[in-house]
Amino acid sequence: MKRIELKESEYIVAPAKILEARMMTAQEKYFKIALEGGVSLDHEPGQFVMVSLLGIGEAPISISSSPTKRSYFELVVRNAGRVTNALHKMEAGDSLGIRGPFGRGFPVQILEGNDLLFVAGGLGVVPLRSLINFVIDNRRDFGKVHILLGCKKPADLLFANEINDWGKRLDVNFSCTVDKADPDWKGNIGLITSLIPGVNLNPKRTFAIVVGPPIMYKFVLLEILKKEIPEKQIYVSLERHMKCGIGKCGHCQIAQYYCCKDGPVFSYDQIKGNKEAL
Amino acid sequence: MQQFVVLKKENFDAFISSLAQTQKVVAPVSRGYNNFSFQEVISGKEISLKYIPTILPPKKYFLPPRETLTAYNKRENALNAILEYEKMVIFGVHTCDLAGIQCLNMVFVDKPKDINYIIRKNKIAIIGLECNDYCDEYASCCVVENHLPNGGYDLFFTDLGDAFIVHINTMLGEELVSKAAVFKPADAKTLKSLESLRQMKRSIFKDEVNVKHENLKILFDSAFESKVWEDLNKRCVACGNCTNVCPTCYCFDIIDEPNLDLNTGVRYRNWDSCQNEPFAKVAGNENFRKERSQRQRHRYMRKFKYPVDKYSRYFCTGCGRCSRTCMAKIKLKETINDLAKETK
Amino acid sequence: MSKPKVAFFDFSCCEGCQLQVANFGEALLDILGLIDVVMFREVMSEKSEVYDVAIVEGSITTTHDVERIKKIRATAKVLIAYGSCATIGGINGMKNNFDLEDIKQYVYKQDAKYFETIPTHPLHKIVKVDYFVHGCPVYQPEFVKVLKCALAGLSYVVPDYAVCVECRFNENVCMFDKGISCMGPVTRAGCNSWCINNGNICYGCRGMVSNPAKNGQMDILKKHNISLDWVENKMNMYNKPRELDIDEQKHKG
Repeated sequence: MKRIELKESEYIVAPAKILEARMMTAQEKYFKIALEGGVSLDHEPGQFVMVSLLGIGEAPISISSSPTKRSYFELVVRNAGRVTNALHKMEAGDSLGIRGPFGRGFPVQILEGNDLLFVAGGLGVVPLRSLINFVIDNRRDFGKVHILLGCKKPADLLFANEINDWGKRLDVNFSCTVDKADPDWKGNIGLITSLIPGVNLNPKRTFAIVVGPPIMYKFVLLEILKKEIPEKQIYVSLERHMKCGIGKCGHCQIAQYYCCKDGPVFSYDQIKGNKEAL
Repeated sequence: MQQFVVLKKENFDAFISSLAQTQKVVAPVSRGYNNFSFQEVISGKEISLKYIPTILPPKKYFLPPRETLTAYNKRENALNAILEYEKMVIFGVHTCDLAGIQCLNMVFVDKPKDINYIIRKNKIAIIGLECNDYCDEYASCCVVENHLPNGGYDLFFTDLGDAFIVHINTMLGEELVSKAAVFKPADAKTLKSLESLRQMKRSIFKDEVNVKHENLKILFDSAFESKVWEDLNKRCVACGNCTNVCPTCYCFDIIDEPNLDLNTGVRYRNWDSCQNEPFAKVAGNENFRKERSQRQRHRYMRKFKYPVDKYSRYFCTGCGRCSRTCMAKIKLKETINDLAKETK
Repeated sequence: MSKPKVAFFDFSCCEGCQLQVANFGEALLDILGLIDVVMFREVMSEKSEVYDVAIVEGSITTTHDVERIKKIRATAKVLIAYGSCATIGGINGMKNNFDLEDIKQYVYKQDAKYFETIPTHPLHKIVKVDYFVHGCPVYQPEFVKVLKCALAGLSYVVPDYAVCVECRFNENVCMFDKGISCMGPVTRAGCNSWCINNGNICYGCRGMVSNPAKNGQMDILKKHNISLDWVENKMNMYNKPRELDIDEQKHKG
C-alpha cells in the first residue's frame, strides 16, 4: 500500500481564526471568523460551511452574515453534537478549519427588484439573516421588504439588538412573535403563522423566503399559499445530516436531491409533494 | 495486434503466476458454503472460475471500506490530504460488477471530482470474465442489460471450454497480453464459437421480472406511496447487508481518529448505509428516515429512479447480492414484481 | 500537565474485562504514557482514594454495591462503564429471570439468610455514566478509542447499527448461510465482528441496537427453523436488564 500526499483534495480545509465569540442564548454561541491570509469567504447568502476541528470532526454550519461583509463571516452554533460541543468551548484567537462555502444559496439575482416576505422560525433566522442583511445593505435594489420572526420565548431571540434595528427601519415592515411571553415582552404572542394573514402584499411580485424547523414549514407554507404567492416564488432552506458537503456521502439526500449540493435552498415548486422534503 | 486473442486453459496458471510476480493480483476465491470473495492470489489454481457474485463486490478496491482522507497535526494546526493506493490487477470481474464500477466512476468523476477515487481507479487493471449461464435465481442482470459485456475492462475473458477467448479493450490490456507471451491470435473458428455462445446466452437470459427494462423507471416513478414498503418494514432488520454488498452503494461517513499522542491523527471515511438507524439523523435528533420502510424505499429509489434521472442509468447491476445476503429474504425480484402487481 | 489518575474497580463480574487491559501487550506501554494507573487490583497492590477516571467493571447486585458505586461516582470526574456487566447488566442479568428469594435459596442454600440481593442493574441505572465500553469481554481497540475520547474530553458514540455491518466489511461468510443462527442483526456494532471473524456466532454481548427489529429477527429465526425459546434465551443471555429501561420508558409514558 502506497501513501502519498495530495496537493488538491476536496477535504483540505482553509485555516481560519475566531475573531469574536460569545454566548447568545443558553444553547447558541456566536462566532465571528476570518480566513487566514485576508482571504474572503466569498459566499452567497444561504450557503453553509463545514467547520473542521482536528481530532474531533466536521459539522455543517449555516453562514449567518451577509457577503457584503468581506473581511469576516459569522456563524451561530447550537450545542447539539460532538463538534458543536467542542466549538462551544472555543474563544476568540482560537484556530479552526473551514471547507466551503457549499450549496445553493438564495437566488439573489432573481429576487432583485421584487418585494420580499421573510419568514423565520427559531434558529431559521440564522441563515436567513445572511440574506436579510444583504438586502438591507443593497436596499435600493429590492422592492418592499416584510420580515416576520417567531421563536418559543423572548430569551430565545437571536440578534436581539440587530432585530430591533430592523424593526426601526422605515424601509422594512417588521413583526415578531413569541409562543410564550414573559412579563417584559411587548410584542406579539402566538405562532408565526398568525402573522402572515395581516401582511399587505402583492402576490405577483412578492417572493417568500421561509426558514425554520421542519415542523414549521407545513403550516407556514399553507398560509403563504393562501396569499396566492406563486409556488416558484417561494423558497425554503432545509436542514439535513451532512458529512462531505459535496454531494457524495449520501447523508443529506432528500429523494433525488442532495441537500448539500442541490440545496439547502429549494424553491417550493421543486419540492412540492416531495414526502422526504417537507 | 488483433482485438481478440486466445489463452489455452493449460496456460492460464502461467498467465496468473507471471502477473502475480510483478504486481498484486486479486481474483474470486472460494470461501465455502457457496460463498466467494475477491482475494489476493499468486496462482491460477486458487481462482474459482465458476463463481457466483462475491460477498463484497470489487468496489472494495475502488472505494475501500475505510480510507484515510487527511492526516493532521493539532500542535502545528496542519491538515494534509492523503491518498492510499495499490497498483493491482483484478481478474475475473463479471459483467454485473463491471457495470457497478462504471456506476461508481460516474458518481466520483461527477463534479466536484473525488481525486482519491480517480487516482486509485487508474492504478487498477480490470480483467473481466463472462458468465456463460445464470449464477443463481437471485440474478437479474438481463433486465438491466448487464448480462453481456459492455466495456469498462482492459481485458475480457470468455471461457470456451479448453481455452479462453480474450477481448483486448485497452492499451493496458494489450501490454498485459504481450508481456505474458502465452496468448495466440484468435482464428475465425474461435471467433465463431464466441458468437454462438453469445447467441445461446441471448436465449438463456430473459427479463427476470415482470417489467420491461424501459418500464422499470416508470414503475419506480410512481412507487413512492406503495404498500410494498410497509411489508418490507415488518421484515427488514436494518442490518445494512444489502447496501454494503451492493456494487453501486457508495455512501460514507467521515470520522476523526486521534493517535495515542492525542496530537496527530487521521480523518478517514468508511462505508455507511442508509439502512442504519442514525444515517439521516441530525444533531437535533430529528431522524428524516426513521422507519425501516422509508429506508428500504430509499435504497430501491437509489437504484431505479434517482440515478436514472441524474445519470440516465440504472444503478442496479442485477448481481443479486442484496437478495442473496438478506437474512430476512427480502428479494429484489420479488419487490419489483410486487410493485408491478400493485400498478396493474 | 500531569497525567490523569486512573483507577479500576469491579462489582459482580468475572474480571475478564480488566484482564483484557493486562493482556494489551505493547500498546499498554503507549497507554501508560498517557495515564497514571493508581489502582488496579489485578496487576498491582497499591491503592488510592484519589483518582480522576474510574473504570468500573461489573454490575450492581446488592444495596452495598449501590452505596459503593455512588461513592466512586462522587470521587471520579469521569466514570467509564467497562464491559457488559457494567453497561447492560450482562450475564448477571439472567438472575432477573427468577424470583429473588428463590434464586438466593438456590445459590446459598441454608446460608441464604445472611445475604441480601437486589435485581441486577447496569451502572447507568444507579449513577451517571460518561462512557460505555460494551462487550464480554471488551474489545481492546474500542477501549483505546474510548480512552482517547475520555482524555480529550470528547463524547464517544457507540455505533447504533448492527454487528452485521462490520461483519460484511470483514467479508465473513454469514452464519445464516452456514445454517447457524446469530445475534448479529440485533446487536450493536463496535466490536469489528470479533467473534464471527474467529468462527464463533454473535451472542449479543454488546446489547441491542436502539430500535431492534424484534419481529423481523423472530421472523428470520423462524425461517431458519430456530425455536422461539432459543431466541428468547439468546436475547436474554446478556440483555435481560434491558427490561428496566423499557419499564422506565413506560412510566414516562
